[in-house]
Amino acid sequence: MHASYVIRRLLQIIPTFLAVMLVVFLLVRLLPGDPASAILGDRATAEIVERTNRELGLDRPLPVQFGVFVRNLLQGDLGDSISLKIPVLRLIGERLPTTLFLTAYAAVLGVLMAVPLAVVAAVRRNTWVDGVIRAVFQVGLSLPVFYVALQLLSLLGARLGWFPIGGYGEGFGEHLYHLFLPALTLGLNLAAILVRTLRNSIIEVLTAEYVDFARAKGLRSRVIMTRHVLRNALIATITLLGLNIGALIGGAVITETVFAIPGVGRLMVDAIFGRDYPVIQGLTLTFALIVSLVFLITDLIHARLDPRAELS
Amino acid sequence: MNVKRLSRLSLTLAAALTVGQAFAATRGGQLTFGRYADSLFLDPVLNDANLDIWILTNLYDTLLQPTNDGKGVQPGLASSYTTSKDGKSMVLTLRPGLKFADGSALSASDVKWSLDRARNPEAGAWNSSLASINSIAVSGNKVTLNLKRPDPTLPAALATFNAAIMPQKLFTAAPGKNDAEKAKAFAEKPIGSGPFVLSEWKRGSYMVMKRNPYYWKKGDDGKALPYLDSVRFEIIPDDNTRILKLQAGELQIAEFIPLSRVAELKADSRLNMTLFPSTKVNSILMNNRPKLNDGTENPLSDVNVRQALNYAANKDALIQVVTYGTGKPMKSYMSATTPLFDAKQPGFPYDLVKAKALMAASKYKNGFEVTVLATSGNADDLALLTALQQMWGAIGVKLKIEQLDAATKTARYRANDFQMRTAAWTNDINDPSQITTYYAVFDNIESVHTGFKSAEIDKLFAQSQQELNPAKRAAQYQQIQSLYLKAAPIVYLYETPYPVAMSKKVKGFFQIPLGNNLFAGAYLEK
Repeated sequence: MHASYVIRRLLQIIPTFLAVMLVVFLLVRLLPGDPASAILGDRATAEIVERTNRELGLDRPLPVQFGVFVRNLLQGDLGDSISLKIPVLRLIGERLPTTLFLTAYAAVLGVLMAVPLAVVAAVRRNTWVDGVIRAVFQVGLSLPVFYVALQLLSLLGARLGWFPIGGYGEGFGEHLYHLFLPALTLGLNLAAILVRTLRNSIIEVLTAEYVDFARAKGLRSRVIMTRHVLRNALIATITLLGLNIGALIGGAVITETVFAIPGVGRLMVDAIFGRDYPVIQGLTLTFALIVSLVFLITDLIHARLDPRAELS
Repeated sequence: MNVKRLSRLSLTLAAALTVGQAFAATRGGQLTFGRYADSLFLDPVLNDANLDIWILTNLYDTLLQPTNDGKGVQPGLASSYTTSKDGKSMVLTLRPGLKFADGSALSASDVKWSLDRARNPEAGAWNSSLASINSIAVSGNKVTLNLKRPDPTLPAALATFNAAIMPQKLFTAAPGKNDAEKAKAFAEKPIGSGPFVLSEWKRGSYMVMKRNPYYWKKGDDGKALPYLDSVRFEIIPDDNTRILKLQAGELQIAEFIPLSRVAELKADSRLNMTLFPSTKVNSILMNNRPKLNDGTENPLSDVNVRQALNYAANKDALIQVVTYGTGKPMKSYMSATTPLFDAKQPGFPYDLVKAKALMAASKYKNGFEVTVLATSGNADDLALLTALQQMWGAIGVKLKIEQLDAATKTARYRANDFQMRTAAWTNDINDPSQITTYYAVFDNIESVHTGFKSAEIDKLFAQSQQELNPAKRAAQYQQIQSLYLKAAPIVYLYETPYPVAMSKKVKGFFQIPLGNNLFAGAYLEK
């Protein structure tokens, strides 16, 4: 049943988690350069680097360091950021909501753009309308995100003054207003991916026998489209959306930088450049958790839409 | 009183009034400043990054302060200081009635405690700047520093951020078992005696400093500084976004304008595109050791080769290509804004004939291939190195560019595993000793890991560190700069300014050559 399936899936996350933890722990230590040098800069003497490494516990053998990491993690402690000197958990707590808000916003805008356009393109397939829609999104897909971001900023932000240039604002309303351009940037990219798949699925479903049957029954085309076609065509698209939400969270890096949004994407980049091991580890675990949950939710929705999909 | 005298008097009065008016600063308001990255940790002793250093002076004050021109020091919390004849002690007199930003009194014992903390060899990377202090004694508003040896750098060291005066009571009352833990807690909501006090900090997003009502320094109107009610720092990592925000009026100041856009912003009538003189020197560091890490022979160990590379680099062309004309050629390893910079240093003017002759006189007549480490994603590095590829090609040197992220680059050259690397430097202290210990003295970090060693420079430098006679010290530094130039352990490139774009309404803001952003005298014209 669903409940036991969900529990089983949640339990499966634990070994995934452990594996991610070990891999990330080892990977960050394989990177050339160490946190002490990174935070102390070019000028630090060997003694100061050594002392800093000792203070950070980085002079101990790797298994001991990993043991400490796991022990602290079990107590809900991800350690302190090396450069910012505040707990990683607090940092993530402060930054993650912003990124999740942006991701959800982008997903909503992406879907709102993709679904109607895909329907139109599929219904009018191989006409000029279809061509224009596909061409526009093909171009959208090939433009770099930072370029689209800057163009939107300079046109809608600087020139027309409709939206603020960067920042996040206070409260839900301001978030919606401030994050519109970055969400649109990411949403356009997402829509470009979704439109193609959704259009093809719709076309496939439209030619299915049960649609012919529904038509023969005399159902109106809008009803056919929403009740039969979209419901079935969305299945593949939802899996694709789930996959892309994981990518969106990771890919918020550029958008967050261009639009000056204090999210986890930017935090991750700074942490990697600064070799801030605890932050890299903490964020990777968070990303792993989110992606696992998104996949689980995607599977559940999939099952809901397609009773044939077995939850096992 | 005759008429002439009367008219002269009234003229003087009128002039005084106009001058008074010209300097009448507007009080109040908030200035919004766009930074490229946020501060990390606001403790003056335990921090390391320019991101912290460059704004710390607004929160914490020092006994003495660097002057805005970078040439010396001026009174700060201490109104005066005297050095004993033998140079073995210094007495500083604190201003009367000094207060921290919470209104509590700043006493001589706070000074002793702060300096003792700052000079503790176990704390931070900066303690060596105060290493000459043996003990500190206080009495009333006098602080006496007893020294191990005469130290000409001490006034400049006392004007540097790590010697900031902190409130002992508040710091020790902060939660935590030891100094490091207390510092973490204290630095979240620091209280100092600088012109501003931190009022809000949302990491990675913004920081607000509001005016410290107890600040000691007076403005031109005779009332306490600062003029502004508050300064808000917005963190905007992307250069283009920062500029767009400034142009849209959402910011009044944007820092780190790409040099490629300076000319365009200069033409914008709403903006005041300013190039503040800096201590920034840009050079290429060379591995001077006879052998590389893998045991192969190192052509850069030949002084003829190093000089040839210097002569073959056309600085004027590089300044046009990389800095869009905003830089100027390096004449010494230290910037022209560093005290005791020797203006008579010739540097390495572009001279291809000389460069070729030097190559012919070297062991590498047929040239060689050399790899340079660049910072990946740094457009300036790439522009610079591709231009140098052509210039050095003319003397048979083939330049290979290897792009690395900053941490990897640091790791590579700390391990002496490199031939050349791009590098920039800014001073943290108004004295030439800091850059000299790094660039020219082997014992610190092997002359920024170039491996360059000169017994003569080492000796001169040791002498200069105890030389209280300014003329003699200047002569020592002149010699050090000449010896260094002759040995050419680095490729001398150019000095660059700090490019800051401001709304025309902003007055009185300063970025000093050390990089510190000073908001105390800044105001917004109505």
